Amino acid sequence: MYIGLFDALPLLRDPMLLVVISLFSFLPVIFIFVFADQASAVQSLIGAIVLTFSFTGLFASQSVFFNKQWFRFQDMFVASKVSPASYALGLSLSGLVVALPGVVVALVLLVLSGTSSATGVVLLLGTSILLWIGLVFVGFAIGATTKNARRANSIPQVLSIALGFLPPVYYPLSRLPAIAQPIAMLIPTTHAAQLAKYYFGLISIPASEVAIGWAYLIGFAALMGFIASRRAHWVDP
Amino acid sequence: MEVVRVEGLGKTYPGGTKALEGVSFSIDRGEIFCLLGRNGAGKTTLLRILATQLKPTVGRASVLGHDVLTDPRAIRPHIAVVPQEARPQMLLSPYDHIFYMCLIRGRSRADAKERTRKVMDDLGLWEHRDKLAADLSGGLRQRLIIAMAMVADPEVLFLDEPTIGLDPLGRRSVWAMLRGLTKKGATILLTTHYLDEAEVLADHLLIVDKGRTAFLGTVDEAKGDTGVGMRVIMEPAAGNGPAAPEVLEPKSSEEILAIVERGLREKRKVTFKPASLEDAFIKIVGGSIEVENT
Repeated sequence: MYIGLFDALPLLRDPMLLVVISLFSFLPVIFIFVFADQASAVQSLIGAIVLTFSFTGLFASQSVFFNKQWFRFQDMFVASKVSPASYALGLSLSGLVVALPGVVVALVLLVLSGTSSATGVVLLLGTSILLWIGLVFVGFAIGATTKNARRANSIPQVLSIALGFLPPVYYPLSRLPAIAQPIAMLIPTTHAAQLAKYYFGLISIPASEVAIGWAYLIGFAALMGFIASRRAHWVDP
Repeated sequence: MEVVRVEGLGKTYPGGTKALEGVSFSIDRGEIFCLLGRNGAGKTTLLRILATQLKPTVGRASVLGHDVLTDPRAIRPHIAVVPQEARPQMLLSPYDHIFYMCLIRGRSRADAKERTRKVMDDLGLWEHRDKLAADLSGGLRQRLIIAMAMVADPEVLFLDEPTIGLDPLGRRSVWAMLRGLTKKGATILLTTHYLDEAEVLADHLLIVDKGRTAFLGTVDEAKGDTGVGMRVIMEPAAGNGPAAPEVLEPKSSEEILAIVERGLREKRKVTFKPASLEDAFIKIVGGSIEVENT
C-alpha cells in the first residue's frame, strides 16, 4: 500500500499535473460531444473509462523500470521485509490512485446522462479491471525487459496509441471498414469496450460474442501474467 | 560472532559471463568489511548476492546464520542496502523519501515520524527536509539515499560505493556515522573505489580481481604481505630543470640514513611517504584502481 503511495506521490504532490493526467483519456470525449450526438459522447465516455484503466496498467512499465533501473529502489525493497507480491501490487495500484479522480468524474457524468444502471456500472468496471490486470502484466513484462530510459518512456506511449486511440474504443466498431473489424477484434481494448458498451445498452451483440469477449480478456490476462512472471524478477537470476 | 560466511562462492550470469569464482571469507559482528577491486572485478555481484538480490551459481553464503539462497526471507528484515548509483525521486522531498521508507519497512506512522527526524538529524538532512531532491547537491542526494537505508536500523548494512559524489566533509560524516553504527553492533560491508576510505574504515578487506580473491586480510597485512614499505621522494637538485623526482624504497634504517645524508649533501628536498593501501593495491592487482575506471 505504502509502496503504491510512494510511487504515486510525485503526482499527488502536484495537483495540476494530477488533473491533467487523470483527465487525459477523457479529452477526445469533449470533441466527440461537440461534433457528434449525445449517444456518441456517452459511448466515447465509456471508452474513456476503459482506456483509463488500460493506460494505468500499461504505464506500470515505467514504474517497474524506474524503480529497478533508475532509482534502484527495488534493490532497497528486496533487502527488506517487503514481499514481491506487495511490491507488485503497490506499483500496479499507484497508477489507479492517480487515475481515480478522472474515473469518478466520468462515472458521475454517465449517471447524469441517464443511460447508466447499477449493473451497467459494475460490469463496466469489471471489464475495465480485467483489462487492467492484463495490461499491468504487459507493463511489468516491458518494464522488466527494457534496459534504457528512453525506451521505457516511448514503448508504453506507442502501445497506448495502438491499444487506445486507434481501435474502436471511443467510437463504434461498426465505423470501421468490414475488412478491419476482425483485426480490431484481436486487440484486448476492443473486447473490453464492446462489452462495456453492450452492458450500457448502446450496442447489441450476440451472447456468444459476449462470452468470447470475457474469455478473451481472461485468457489475455492469464497469458500476460505468465509472460510477466518469466520476465520480471524479484531476485535476479 | 560470525555474521557473514561465504564459501567457494561463484557466479556466472545467464549470458555466460563469469563474475565471481571461488570466493571465501567471513565477517564478524561489528566489523567494517571493505570490498576493493577495479570496475567489473565482481564487487557488486558479491554484494548483491549477500544482500539476497542475486542468485549465486555455486558455493554457499549465509548472513546472520541464514542461507542467502534457501532462506532469504529470514535475512531481509535485518539488512539494508545502499545500491550503486541509486538516485532519489527528483520531485519528492528528502522528508517524503525517508518517511515513506519507514512506512514501507513496517514502522507505524508515529514511529516513522520519530525515526525520520532522527535519521535526518544524524545525516544533516533536516534543514533540507522540504526541498525537492532535484534542488539538492549531488552530495546531499547521496546522503539521502544512505538515509533511506538507515531507517531500518539494520544489523547488517550493505553499501555499494556509498560516498561517490560526496565532498570531503560529507565523506567524513558518513565514515563517522558508519563507525557509530558498528559501535552499536551493526556489521557493514561496503564496496569502494576510494582507497583512503578503505584504509580509514576497513577492519578487514577483500581485494577481488577478475572475480577471484586477490587478497584477504587487514590493511596492515595488505601492506606487509606485499612488501610495500616507506617511499622516499627526492626532488631534483635546483638548476636541473624539470627532471623527474627520484622515488626510493629503503629497506633498512641504514638506507634511510644514507638517503637523508645524500639529500643534505646534494641540497635536494626529501619527502618521506609512509606505505599506503594504494601502493599495496597496485602490487596486488598490478595496476592502479583509477586506470580501469577511466
